[in-house]
Amino acid sequence: MLTARRLMLAHFWVAFATFGVAAVLGAWQMWARSPLRPPFLSAENYFASVTLHGVSMAYVLTTFFIMGFGYFVAETALKRPLPGRTWAWVSFWMGIVGTAMAVLSILSGRATVLFPFYPPLTATPWFYIGLVLVVVGSWIWCGLMIAAMAGWKRENPGQPVPLAMFGTVANAVMWLWTTVGVAAELLFQVIPAAFGWVQTVDVGLARTLFSWTLHAIVYFWLIPAYIAFYTMAPKAAGGRLYSDTMGRLTFILFLVYSLPVGMHHLFMDPQHSTGFKFVQAALTVLVSVPTLLTIFTIPASFEIGGRMRGGKGLFGWIKALPWERPMVLATGMAFFMLWFGGGGGLINMSYGMNAMIHNTSWVTAHFHLIFGGTVVIMYFAIAYAIWPTLTGHGFRSMRRLRLQLWLWFVGMMVMTLPWHYLGLQGQWRRVATFDYSDPIIAGWGPWVLVSLFGGVLLLASSLLFLFNLLPPHRQRVGLRLPPQPVGYALAAHPPHRVPAVLNGFAFWNVIVLVLMAAAYGYPIAQFFLLDAPSAVVHRVFAGG
Amino acid sequence: MAAEPHLSDDEPRKLDRAFRLWASLIVVVVLSGAGLVGFLAMPLAQSSQIGLDAWTAICRAVGINPGTPAMRQPVSASQPLPVSKVAWDYDILHTLAAGNRESGAQLAGEVCSACHGDEGVSPSPEFPHLAGQSAAAIYKQLHDYKTGARVHPSMTPVAQALTEQQLADLSAYYAGDNAFGSLGTRRQADYEDVAELVAVGAPERGIPSCNSCHGSGAGGPIETPTLVGQHAEYLEAQMNAYAARERRNDVYQRMRTISARLTPDERRRLAQYYQGTR
Repeated sequence: MLTARRLMLAHFWVAFATFGVAAVLGAWQMWARSPLRPPFLSAENYFASVTLHGVSMAYVLTTFFIMGFGYFVAETALKRPLPGRTWAWVSFWMGIVGTAMAVLSILSGRATVLFPFYPPLTATPWFYIGLVLVVVGSWIWCGLMIAAMAGWKRENPGQPVPLAMFGTVANAVMWLWTTVGVAAELLFQVIPAAFGWVQTVDVGLARTLFSWTLHAIVYFWLIPAYIAFYTMAPKAAGGRLYSDTMGRLTFILFLVYSLPVGMHHLFMDPQHSTGFKFVQAALTVLVSVPTLLTIFTIPASFEIGGRMRGGKGLFGWIKALPWERPMVLATGMAFFMLWFGGGGGLINMSYGMNAMIHNTSWVTAHFHLIFGGTVVIMYFAIAYAIWPTLTGHGFRSMRRLRLQLWLWFVGMMVMTLPWHYLGLQGQWRRVATFDYSDPIIAGWGPWVLVSLFGGVLLLASSLLFLFNLLPPHRQRVGLRLPPQPVGYALAAHPPHRVPAVLNGFAFWNVIVLVLMAAAYGYPIAQFFLLDAPSAVVHRVFAGG
Repeated sequence: MAAEPHLSDDEPRKLDRAFRLWASLIVVVVLSGAGLVGFLAMPLAQSSQIGLDAWTAICRAVGINPGTPAMRQPVSASQPLPVSKVAWDYDILHTLAAGNRESGAQLAGEVCSACHGDEGVSPSPEFPHLAGQSAAAIYKQLHDYKTGARVHPSMTPVAQALTEQQLADLSAYYAGDNAFGSLGTRRQADYEDVAELVAVGAPERGIPSCNSCHGSGAGGPIETPTLVGQHAEYLEAQMNAYAARERRNDVYQRMRTISARLTPDERRRLAQYYQGTR
């Protein structure tokens, strides 16, 4: 049934291999920040490592995983071959070449600009051109996803698009909108400065354009986790999806409200007025709506499963759930971490409270908990769920899979909770080492050590993850599975017809356009209109 | 499982209309609600606290009238004494970028080479090599001599006689084409005892690593000088002068603090380390 198996596996292995390397760097960085002295420690090495860790985790792992999973969903949910397979390979190799350019730039020490690169720091142009290649490659993927859905709709007029594909295309459409900001920043500001064609960068404008991308990119990473929540977890729990419409609304709301909200990353930036910051903060509140819908719908779906398995009483259904299945276990853990991560996020997006934690370790702890925790643990669960279909071999034992998930969950909680606390104590981010002889900083030491312990657990979990995925490729005997159809969860009331507006994105693109014009129109235009005190600064070459 | 209640043929279309209508309505309400609070209610409520009339407050909230009218701070009686009057603003960086290397070379031949040698390679350990320094480093020191932030019996009168443009020309000339200019490529000495200080510092004594500013690409201030290849005697004398607070043109007292925390022996070894191999 899968015609593009090699394509998908290639994407997944690039993503996961990069993830393994980046996990080692992450643990080393935690060690560097602690009172213990790691090998190879120098400021240059630390910041090069931060850059590489960020680029690997946030650009390579995510983009390749999402593209691979998108191809998988397009074939399995739509039950038709992927259109434009040659283009998919072109996109893959663009990603590989781009990644190689970026990684080599960082390793040569000529691109120590941190993640996600901070103008006026400029790296060698090859670093940015590499990133642009990855992004342009992902645009091809977006086109293929949209084409796959359009082709299916032509063949099935009036039928509701399967929810997994609907979510995937929502993500593709959102990604096209999202990348406009960073593409403009790179093409018109950063790359000309990196080549030395211009000597100055307006960092106010650069930050504004990046904020356009900055929040939605997180939802680009998150949506695959939500696709798993809605279409894979209820089935694994032995139940049905409580509501298909809730799923569609969730993906639509992510598309609509993840974009006009990026300015909540710029609360401290003097270039923007209070009014626009407030409007975007208000819109940010609405982006919690799809998450709240999900927090309701998925437990309701699990309750169906628990009761069908004989669970009784108010909470008895929770005990009756098949927690031994990785997808169910990971969903439970993801929700638990979402609770803390989401709470922290509400503080970040509050115009007033943000001032307490701005640029402290709180922020790094937050995005590790919500991305590394909620999102990446679902990437693991997705990989475990689709690996038998992709490789044709099952896992010998689920125990090692569960152990890996537990290590990740415990490690992430142990690492990020003290890290949040340190942020509240004022520990700053983007610093290589701390002077623990200072009496105030000395008090942070024990907490950083606890975080480091969490980081070690995460590293162990990462390596175990790779170790778990390898055997199915090598199996010669036993556990050979017949071609596995991947089943997606049925809704309690399977939709037969849905309004056109819940079956496509044309109308929502208009809404996004209106919201973006309202939220970002003037804040960007002012850089060209007003003769205001500007933030034009000279470029600084970071590296070599 | 029960199927959805059967919908008549025009039901989806009706639902569709309702969805579009409500979605648009919600977006309009949210946008105008947020706008009312952000652009009207908040600035109006806060305008009196910051002494602004309502109209100005609203314009500022929209961003048309930028800048915050900061509360006037009481002027303190003593004038601040900057350690250096060099500020890396837009104009200075442009002046530096436009430095003329030919005029710089001519001027250097007339004025500087007597002590600092041909092409900035000084024959005497008393005078530093200038070759291989960045334009910003040369400019900072010349400017400091000119303003009196740094004092030297021969350099002060020389620098005071030079114009801004001449400073930029000299800086451009000595900065040369590559990292070490006519000094040639040099390497640090292979000394185990100070390598730790250079790479990681001594946190327990509050000494940051030398590399955190002087390592290439470490993100230190742009005027940070290149140390590799410099005369050890000169480097040691500077650290001693900082430690004794005789030299005071280091911003934020960075080098005064660090030098005072280094032992005299460490200063000597570090100087030799940076002089390195030729």
